[in-house]
Amino acid sequence: MSETFVKILLGFIVLWPFAGFVLNGLGWHGNSKKAIARYACYMVLSSFVASVVIFFAIKSHGAYTVTYFNFLDTGSLKISFSFQADQLSSLFLLIITGVGFLIHVYSAAYMHEEEPKHYARYFAYLNLFIFFMLLLVLGANYVIMFFGWEGVGLCSYLLIGYWFKNNEYNYAARKAFIMNRIGDLGFLLGIFWLISKLATVDYATVFAQAQSLSNFDVTMITLLFFVGAMGKSAQIPLYTWLPDAMAGPTPVSALIHAATMVTAGIYMIARSNVLYSMSEVTMNIVAIVGLVTALFAATIALKQNDIKKVLAYSTVSQLGYMFLGLGVGAYTGAVFHVMTHAFFKALLFLAAGSVIHAMHHEQDIRKMGGLKKYLPITHITFLLGCLAIAGIPPFSGFFSKDEILAAAYAKNPLYWGLGVAGAAMTAFYMFRLYATTFLGSFRGTHDQEHHLKESPSAMTIPLIILALLSVLGGFLGIPEVFAHDSHLLKTFLSPVIATGAGEHLEHGTEYMLMGISVAIAALAVIFAISKYKKTPELGEPAGFGKILSNKWYIDELYDTVIVKPLNVLAGFLKNIIEKSGIDGLVNGVGRLVNYSSRQLRLLQSGQTGSYILFMVLAMIVIIFLWIDDHFIYKFISGLF
Amino acid sequence: MNAIILSAIAGVVMMFSGIFSKNKHALTNTAIAGLLILLIGNILDTYHVYTITVNTHDMLHFDKFGASFNSIAIGATLLYVLLSGRDIEKVGVNVAEYYALVFFALCGISLLSSFNSLLILFLGVEIMSIPLYILTGADKKNLKGNEASLKYFLMGAFSTGIMLMGIALLYGATGNFEINPSQSLINVPLTHGILGPLGLLFIFISLSFKVSAAPFHFWTPDVYDGAPSVFTSFMATIIKSAGFIAFIRLFSSRSEDLEVSWQVILPLVIVATLLIGNITAVFQQSVKRMLAYSSIAQAGFMLFALYGSNDLAREGIILYATAYSLATIGIFAILIRMKDYTFDGYNGLAKKQPLLAFVNTVFLLSLAGIPLTAGFFAKYYMLASAIKEGGHSALWLVIVALLFAAVSVYYYFRVIQAMYFKDGEAEMSETNKGFRILLVIIACIIILIGIYPSLLLDRLYF
Repeated sequence: MSETFVKILLGFIVLWPFAGFVLNGLGWHGNSKKAIARYACYMVLSSFVASVVIFFAIKSHGAYTVTYFNFLDTGSLKISFSFQADQLSSLFLLIITGVGFLIHVYSAAYMHEEEPKHYARYFAYLNLFIFFMLLLVLGANYVIMFFGWEGVGLCSYLLIGYWFKNNEYNYAARKAFIMNRIGDLGFLLGIFWLISKLATVDYATVFAQAQSLSNFDVTMITLLFFVGAMGKSAQIPLYTWLPDAMAGPTPVSALIHAATMVTAGIYMIARSNVLYSMSEVTMNIVAIVGLVTALFAATIALKQNDIKKVLAYSTVSQLGYMFLGLGVGAYTGAVFHVMTHAFFKALLFLAAGSVIHAMHHEQDIRKMGGLKKYLPITHITFLLGCLAIAGIPPFSGFFSKDEILAAAYAKNPLYWGLGVAGAAMTAFYMFRLYATTFLGSFRGTHDQEHHLKESPSAMTIPLIILALLSVLGGFLGIPEVFAHDSHLLKTFLSPVIATGAGEHLEHGTEYMLMGISVAIAALAVIFAISKYKKTPELGEPAGFGKILSNKWYIDELYDTVIVKPLNVLAGFLKNIIEKSGIDGLVNGVGRLVNYSSRQLRLLQSGQTGSYILFMVLAMIVIIFLWIDDHFIYKFISGLF
Repeated sequence: MNAIILSAIAGVVMMFSGIFSKNKHALTNTAIAGLLILLIGNILDTYHVYTITVNTHDMLHFDKFGASFNSIAIGATLLYVLLSGRDIEKVGVNVAEYYALVFFALCGISLLSSFNSLLILFLGVEIMSIPLYILTGADKKNLKGNEASLKYFLMGAFSTGIMLMGIALLYGATGNFEINPSQSLINVPLTHGILGPLGLLFIFISLSFKVSAAPFHFWTPDVYDGAPSVFTSFMATIIKSAGFIAFIRLFSSRSEDLEVSWQVILPLVIVATLLIGNITAVFQQSVKRMLAYSSIAQAGFMLFALYGSNDLAREGIILYATAYSLATIGIFAILIRMKDYTFDGYNGLAKKQPLLAFVNTVFLLSLAGIPLTAGFFAKYYMLASAIKEGGHSALWLVIVALLFAAVSVYYYFRVIQAMYFKDGEAEMSETNKGFRILLVIIACIIILIGIYPSLLLDRLYF
């Protein structure tokens, strides 16, 4: 395929969603909700179709880098507005536009109660999000990536606070934005560091020249980038925004806060794998942060009773696994897990949305139960999603998680042990959620029971498609032990991602590890179902469970350690420094100007005679100055 | 050459068309047609497609810089007539004569942008100025206008005298009126000999009067305030920029450092102009009078081109003339339609005329030099040229200028504040669609140049 064609096609992939944003944002479709939704969906569908074309072009031809125009041209630094479509970005293109399209369709039904103008606003934001996300993965340099990075943060903020009349939601939106900003600052500093050392931000040049960087520089740049990734991908200590982000509509949680945006950090590190592989220190930190987050979030998820909160903490935990994979050098494994996670987590969220929809906005699982017979499709698809995330073979989660765990074992058996423990917790809390929601008897009100019915097909069809993907998606990466050269994803990604550690395990060892992790997960599943099927946890937890259900009191800790002292400082600056110091200065200057204005204006007397007198005096002064340029100085010193 | 000849012819034609037609609209349309022909003629001249040639014995020198400025002056006049033609018709009965005088003033401007001899400089200044004395008193029954006209004439005569004196002294020193373009006048050492440098100083003072630099600015507020508002608009923009072009032509292409005396005199004049213009504008109650002081303040910035006198300054003065003229013409066009010229008269305009309030805001932001408007780059080029020329010794001057630019934000934003944040019943006379579209176009040009100044500056060379 010719370069020009790819250039045009990539331009359209990005611009279609943007056009959707502009037209829906401007209220083009007036009050017709049907037109609004159809328009937004078609835009993303077009991008998806084009992405498929691009994908096959790359598969047969290799990567493309196309430049549109010079974005910045200052002295030694030249930044072009260019896209890089290679194996890695094309994979993300498919995930973003594909899952994005399904979620658009789903949203059309899920959001049907909204007023037309808010409905249009919703789809405008959603399209805008797709636009920025595509920019993020397509950019051929860190600056374009940063554009997308900031843009998706903005859309996330807008969508979390979509129901802006609820102040709680606004706070959640603000929290997400601030946490992300902290991360963004790290990313930005990393970019600056890179520019100061290499004077370029293009991936190709940066990776080619990476060897010339000192070890310290590489470590600092990668660590700063990782700070950015922590914010966007909700890792300790910047993870607290993600559970709160569930304030947004459920499809948004599925798309932004599970399938796509939060994986931007993984994408960034996978993209920069050349840099990361150069710094042992950063790799260890990434692995440890990922592992700790995976475990920590999993413990919290054990005791949550809000269906979306459980899924949110599970997302944080799964992202932790991806970082563990990155940290031990299994970049492909991490990207693989991004993909499978996008399928099953989007599925789980959408199924949860279907439950919430049926339950009339009830999210507390203690008030559900026995939904199996009312929502058959939702039930089956949710179950498949749970099996996938729990890592039961042959569902997709098994393959990707296993790849990460195997690589972790090769690096350090302790990582593996903790990872399996986390996986066991994952299986347990997911099936606790499943059993409490779908099994047993219904615990809601009669009114709710009366209205329980399966969601419309616009919602169930995306569920079915995602369920199929969750079941089958794993076969793209069958491990080496089962069949030689069957890891299609690894072969596909090999031009972008250098193969690293994690594949030198004995086949016997690998079978054993696999067996142990599957067995533990299966046990956890059975235990959870048997425990919660008949007697769900209804009361308030006590003891250690209380700490878990209060999320280890991390929010309260941040509040005491960071927010309150800052508020005290701000109060001091506001009441003391500003009121008496700065205000006085500023107002003083204003008063001085006003005063001089009143005096100076008197020069303008309106008398021609006096004007001419002034002019003649001025001429005399100028002539004196010409004769002797120290005249004024002498004149003034003569006065005293 | 085209501009000089065509504008003179157009002036005469306008004068006679007054005899044949009493229809004011028809006269305005004739003037617009004349300006269009003038603009096309000048552009043809710029690109050497068709030029009327007359042997001027080297008294005139045509170059790209002058021709570009002519285009800007004529274009701005065209916009001005298109916007305010209706208001010119309302001033009095002799509409044809008003337009004729405008054309004559343009003729003077074209002389000023191409003179190569002190005689032509004098002719240009006078041809440009005399129509203004008349236009200031165009509203014959208005006492204030008459007073302003007389004042302007008296002080103008005074400054003409000084200029003639200067030219005579220079002639006495050098024996001819020629200006050698390769050796600029400002480089004549002021301390060697007495006649030449003193003559130059006198010309400097006289031109300072024309561009209303302090302390020779006294006529400006009274005349601008007293003259009919439409003509104030013309004087404050096109005429003022032309004064600077004459200035630049006289003192440009300097290769060495400024003579010591100039290093003292010029910055002093700049600071005085900035001080008087900005500070006095703060206390004004009438927007019209505020604009008069603001035009003094803007002149202070344009004087930087003289200080810099390098390529940046030449580009900058073109940019400044454009940015300043467009914005001021726009503001005046709206001001003329206002019932009450005070700041309070603008109260609540945004609610009644959101579009006009918005474009007015763009114009005011440009005058204040806020980024993304042409005014920002205009100021930037001026200050950059000074830094490039003077290095660290110019730094204090630049800082002073920036502080005064900050002061200017105060009085420009007072109008914005009145329009948007105060409640009131701003009253305006009727505006038609064409008027509004033109204003929007001007605002777009200002923003476009503010984002991409090379759009204009690239036209200066090729």
